[in-house]
Amino acid sequence: MPSDDLRRKADPAKLSLPHRARLVAGTVAGDLAATASRLLGKGSGASIRGQILTRIAPDAFGDLVKGRRIVAVSGTNGKTTTTHFVASALREALGPDAGRLVHNADGANLHYGIASALAKAPRADVAVLETDERVVADLLAKGRPEVLVLLNFSRDQLDRNHEIKFLGRDWRSALDRAGADGPVVIANADDPLVTWAAEKAPKVVWVSTATTWNADAAMCPACGAMLTRASASDGTSTWDCPSCELTQHDADYVVRDGFIRLPDGTAIDPQLNVPGVFNIANAAMALAAVAELGVDAETALRGFRSVKAPAGRFSVATIGGSSYRLILSKNPAGWAESLPLLTTDPCVLMIDSVAADGKDVSWLWDVEFEQLRGRRVVASGPRAYDLAVRLTYAEVEHSVIPDLTEALGAATGPGTVDVIATYTPFQKLLKMGGLR
Amino acid sequence: MTLRQAQGPALRDGQGPVKIVVVYQSLLGIYGDQGNAKVLHQRLAWRGIDSEVIFVEPGQRLPADGAIYLLGGGEDNAQTTAVRELKADGALFSALADGAVLFAVCAGYQICGHTFTIGENDEVREGLGVLDVTTRRGSRRAVGEILTRWTKPDGTQTYLTGFENHGGFTTLGPDAAPLARVEVGIGNADEGTEGAVQGRVIGTYPHGPVLARNPELADHLLHLATGRVLEPLPGPQPEHDGLRAERMAFVRRTRA
Repeated sequence: MPSDDLRRKADPAKLSLPHRARLVAGTVAGDLAATASRLLGKGSGASIRGQILTRIAPDAFGDLVKGRRIVAVSGTNGKTTTTHFVASALREALGPDAGRLVHNADGANLHYGIASALAKAPRADVAVLETDERVVADLLAKGRPEVLVLLNFSRDQLDRNHEIKFLGRDWRSALDRAGADGPVVIANADDPLVTWAAEKAPKVVWVSTATTWNADAAMCPACGAMLTRASASDGTSTWDCPSCELTQHDADYVVRDGFIRLPDGTAIDPQLNVPGVFNIANAAMALAAVAELGVDAETALRGFRSVKAPAGRFSVATIGGSSYRLILSKNPAGWAESLPLLTTDPCVLMIDSVAADGKDVSWLWDVEFEQLRGRRVVASGPRAYDLAVRLTYAEVEHSVIPDLTEALGAATGPGTVDVIATYTPFQKLLKMGGLR
Repeated sequence: MTLRQAQGPALRDGQGPVKIVVVYQSLLGIYGDQGNAKVLHQRLAWRGIDSEVIFVEPGQRLPADGAIYLLGGGEDNAQTTAVRELKADGALFSALADGAVLFAVCAGYQICGHTFTIGENDEVREGLGVLDVTTRRGSRRAVGEILTRWTKPDGTQTYLTGFENHGGFTTLGPDAAPLARVEVGIGNADEGTEGAVQGRVIGTYPHGPVLARNPELADHLLHLATGRVLEPLPGPQPEHDGLRAERMAFVRRTRA
C-alpha cells in the first residue's frame, strides 16, 4: 500500500450483521468486566476487556484492524514511548480532526489489548498500535499496516524467549508474505536481527540509533557466523557479517550526541520531556515513521514534547507524603539504559519475577550495578535478595526491604527519589501513586 | 581435599594474579553467566588474593595459563561455533592437562561431553570430550527453579539452588560422577542426577549466577584452582543466607 499523507481518509471495515452483533455483545461484556476489574483494583481492565471480547467474537482482532490506516510499533524496548510519540505527532498534525486517531495508549499490546482499544473507536480510521513482538506477523497479515517501526531486539523474558532469533524469523517471513503490499519499515540499522527481518520489506527507512547494547547480537542471524564490529570513539559501533551479504545499511536518520540528523542533513535537538539517550533514539524512529504520513519534523517534535509520562513511565508520584520518579525497566538492555538516569541518593530498585517480569533474574549479572557505588540503594520487591547479593558483589551500599511500601518509606528525600522497577512492581507503584 | 590433588595450579600460584578466563561470553553468556566470574574474583579479593578476569572472544587466543575457565549458556548455533573455535585454539585442552579448572554451565556443560544435539531435527554434534557425558533432546524443556543436594569434598551435604532452562537431557558415562542429586527440578534427567564432575572439569545445568547463590561451590572451585586453603569470609553474609532461604522456600512451594 503506498503511504500518503493524512488527508486520505480510510474506511474501517464494515462488518456483516452477525459479525457486528457479536462484536457489540463482546464489547459490552468486555466493558462490564473491565469496569469490575477496575473497581476491584486489578488494573486498567484493558486486558480482561479484550479477553472477553475475543472469546465472544473470535475474529474481533482481524475485523477491527481491517481497513484502517495503521502505524505499528514493535521491538523489545521502547514500544510504549515510541507509540506515544507517533500518536502525539499525528494528533498534532490532525489538529481538529484528532478524533480520527485511535491508540492503545495503555500499553496492552497483545491481540486482545489491540482489539479492545479499536473496539472503543469504531470510526477512527488512523490507528497507532503498540504491537507485541509475537503479534507482528498476524497484524501484517490481517491489518496491512502502512508503516511498521522495528525498534530493537534483545533478551527479554529469559525463561520464555530463549531463542529470540525465532521472532526475527517470524517477522521476516511475514514481511516476505506481504510482498509489495507490505509496510514501509522504519528499522534500527544498528540492530542485526532487525536488519535481517526488515530487508524483506518493499521500502525500508534506516535509523542509526547509537545503540550500545550489543550483547544479544554476536552472531549473524542469516548465516550464524560471528559478526565483526568496528567501534567508534563514542561507544557506538558498526557491524558486518564477514561470511554473507548481511551488513549494516547507511542510515537515513542518525542519532548522535543527543541530536537527530535528518535525511536532508539538518541536525535537530529534540528537547524531549522524557529522559535518556534511548528516548532520543525512539524519537528518531517516530520521526521517520510520521514523515511517511507527510508530517514534518517541526510538527512532529511539538507532539513529541507533549509526551511526559507515557503509560506512567517516568511519572512523578506522591506516595506516603514523599515524591518518587518511577522508571520501568524490563530486561538487561532496559536496565543498562535506565541505571545512568538515576540521580538521587538514596534510590530504590524493585525486582519481581512473576510471568510478566520474566521468572529468571540471571540478567542482574549482565547489568553494571557497579556504577551505583557511593550511593545508598534500597533493594526491594520479591527478588530483593537476588539484587542484594548482586549489589554485595558490586560493593554497593544497600539495605534489603522486600515490601514495596516499607522500601519507599525508607527512601525519602528532601526532593524526588528515583525508583526503577520491573513490570509488576511498576504497576503496583502506579496504583499506589493513584496514577492508574 | 588433599594437597596432591591441587598440585598443578598450586605451581602457578605466586606467579601473579589468579587468572579467571571467561570463554566466549558473546556466544555462551546469554544468561548472566559472567556473574560467576564476578563472584570468583570478588571472593578472592575479599580474602586479599589478587585475581584477574580475562574475557576471550572467538578469534582471540585463549590463554593457556588460566587457573579457572568458565563456559556459560547459549543457543544451539553458538554451541557449535564454540566447539569449533575451542578445538582450533587448543589452549583449553593443554590448560586442563596442566591442572586448570573448567566450570561449565548449561549449554557450556553440554558441549563438554562427547556429543549433543541441536535444532528441531536433533542433528548430532561432537563436543569437546572433556566430560564422559552425552546430551540429546529431552522429552520436555526443563525451565524453572532447581534444588539439588551436593556432597562437599569433606563429606557433608549442602543444597545447591539455581534456575535451569534447557532442552537437553544428559546421560553420564562411567568416568563422570554426578555433581549433585536433584531434590526439585530436572537436572540431567538421568536417575535423579544433576551435573557432572570428572577430575577438574565440573558441569552443571543451573545457569547464570549459580555461584552467587551457592558461595560454598564458588569457594570449592577457588580451592581447586588455587590449591589454597580458603578461610571462611569474615563477618555475616545476610544477603547470601537470605537469598538461599528465600529461593529454597520458593522452589519447594511451587515446583515440588
